Amino acid sequence: MSDKRTGNPWKVKMSTASLVLIPAAIGINYVGKLFASMLKLPLWLDSIGTCLSACLAGPIVGALSGLLTNVIYGLTMDPISTVYGLTQAGIGIAVGLMAWYGKVNKLPGIIVTGLLAGLVAVCISTPLNMIFWGGSTGNVWGDAVFAAMGSQGFLASLVDEIIVDLPDKIVVLLLTAGIYKVLPKSLVTLYQAKDESLD
Amino acid sequence: MKSISLYEEKHSFLNGLSPETKLLYVIVAIAVPVILGGRIPFFAFIAMSITLLAGSGVLRNTKTIVAVSGFILITVVIIQTFFRGGTFTELFRIGPLVARKEGFEYSLGIVLNVLNIIFCFCVFVLTTKPSDMMQEMVKHGISPRLGYVFVSLFQIIPQMTEHTSTITDAQRSRGMETEGSLATRIKAFLPLISPVIMNSFTDTRERSIALEVRGFSSTSKKSFLEDFVPSSADSGMRIALIVLFCASVAFTVLRVMGVIAWLR
Amino acid sequence: MAEIVINNLRYRYPETARLALDGISCEIHQGEFIGIIGRNGAGKSTLSQAMLGLVPNFYHGAYGGSVTVDGINVKEDTVDDLCQKVGLVFQNPFNQVTGSKLTVYDEIAYGLENFGVAPDEMRRRIDSAMELLDISQLKDRAPYDLSGGQMQRMALAGIIVMEPEVIVMDEPTSQLDPQGSEEVFRAVSALKDEGKTIIMVEHKIEKIAAYSDRVMLLDDGKLVAMGTPKAVFSRDDLAEHGVVAPTYTQICRKLGIRDREGFYPVTLEETRSLLESDMKGGLAG
Repeated sequence: MSDKRTGNPWKVKMSTASLVLIPAAIGINYVGKLFASMLKLPLWLDSIGTCLSACLAGPIVGALSGLLTNVIYGLTMDPISTVYGLTQAGIGIAVGLMAWYGKVNKLPGIIVTGLLAGLVAVCISTPLNMIFWGGSTGNVWGDAVFAAMGSQGFLASLVDEIIVDLPDKIVVLLLTAGIYKVLPKSLVTLYQAKDESLD
Repeated sequence: MKSISLYEEKHSFLNGLSPETKLLYVIVAIAVPVILGGRIPFFAFIAMSITLLAGSGVLRNTKTIVAVSGFILITVVIIQTFFRGGTFTELFRIGPLVARKEGFEYSLGIVLNVLNIIFCFCVFVLTTKPSDMMQEMVKHGISPRLGYVFVSLFQIIPQMTEHTSTITDAQRSRGMETEGSLATRIKAFLPLISPVIMNSFTDTRERSIALEVRGFSSTSKKSFLEDFVPSSADSGMRIALIVLFCASVAFTVLRVMGVIAWLR
Repeated sequence: MAEIVINNLRYRYPETARLALDGISCEIHQGEFIGIIGRNGAGKSTLSQAMLGLVPNFYHGAYGGSVTVDGINVKEDTVDDLCQKVGLVFQNPFNQVTGSKLTVYDEIAYGLENFGVAPDEMRRRIDSAMELLDISQLKDRAPYDLSGGQMQRMALAGIIVMEPEVIVMDEPTSQLDPQGSEEVFRAVSALKDEGKTIIMVEHKIEKIAAYSDRVMLLDDGKLVAMGTPKAVFSRDDLAEHGVVAPTYTQICRKLGIRDREGFYPVTLEETRSLLESDMKGGLAG
């Protein structure tokens, strides 16, 4: 997949191409979620765009893609989603950094990244769940376990969120890596190429 | 007109207020009940938001948003009322399930907070044009390039999601199965989303060029064809909100210090 | 005074092996209509994007030689500076819609807002551009609701309001239906009448023959020929370079009808006037 890149991932220049990638990434997040629900899959699959853009253009673009996905969703459908933009931003940063340092190349690295993204999501979402929803997630599997554990407390909420997020993020990373491999070079170079001279 | 924004073009009290003021309302409406505590401030702000929305003729547009969160709220009420651990006072029984007073009251607190957030958000979202939001952002120093990214989302997202049913039909006609076992359905996901992803990236490259050749990266000071001019009520509203916020903070501090006794 | 000077331009896209542009040199003068023809992959789009510095500033990659616009080397300037001198419209009308505006009128204003033009001046320019391109009646429509031809004219309007001296068009009608194409060519004609310098990449040979002052034939990144339409289309090696001559040129070639310079006519009008003058003085060639 991506080779290790040089330089500071936080200081990447925000080119036009990188910025315009963000709406496309957000659209892909939306479409992923749509198809997953249409196919009645037990996964969200709503962060493929975030992860792809993070791999292509770095953690900042990934974070913005994730954050704005939830901001827009919050402004057009479900206000509380806005806060969960922090979770998606975290995922974008985690995946972006792993991709920058070339760790998303082979299967073990991909799975580790998926786990890492899942853990980041769990760590950020669980406190949010507790503040706004009393600890539950709205997902039937996770909430069933949450209820069985007494519908309260950090641990129960944590387990609820782990059930919801971890498998989802691992699958998302596998899909992202698969898609990245087949992206045409001409596209990837738009975000990663350097200037050379022929004179 | 394809835009996922819930904004409706009209002349109303809320439409005339600046985005900044309405955003301030959202912050105040969420924070003050939390600062003051108790149920009544939540009810008060929900009532105020609903009144403002009704007065500006957009109350009916809140239906979808309330429904989306409403569903989760119902699950929360059920989970907390019937399954919350710890000591409990029984309200009633349905078969093996025991409705607990403590759980129910806890869930009520959640419901009130969430509803408050939803309605005050609607005050902002249903009456503010995305491009005005963007103008405000740019005037406050946010990069106009980010402002563009924000505003474009309202039209680009529906552009991308619109074609999903066409894609699904096309793939189905090529023999792809979308129903059946979990394995079948999982296998269908990648062939459905890949064309969307590939096309969107090509489109992105071309759109980047189109924007670039129209001065996207220019560092000149921007101008706006239509300047948003807030109504005369705007500054008054803003002052009222700030006063309200400071008063509630002061009230709470004094109460905590025992200066004001308040029986609960 | 030459407006665009291209000197031994060479370019290779990142991570590719062959040169997309291989030693192109030419001069383009104010008010000229230049047609660029060649087979797919010949480098036409790359060349058109080199005129305003997208190659190399946007794509990066390996670059050699120079392109100078009004004395400024495009490599040393930014696209947002150069785009005020050289405008670009390309194939896909959809992807040229910014998506950030709700009406056609506002959409056309986008570039002007980026450059801080005053609202009154914006309105003046937008009104006159819409008038020129015959889209005034569309001003309140939503940008994505237009037909292909309308969208492309809106894109063109968005460019000409920035008042560039040169307008580059990269296959502007390839994705349009016949009616849309006609609408765009009418607009191009109006721009030509205004005296703008126009550089157009096109596969519609008849149009190139009719509009161009000079034609550039590209193949494999090289400039094979540059001259008047008559001169270029009368060449014997057109087929080798993947180009089909205009209909009347083919007919006249078959019938052996040449003009005084030894070239075949490229349009109906030229053929007719040549035949008429020949009939008066006896057939030549």
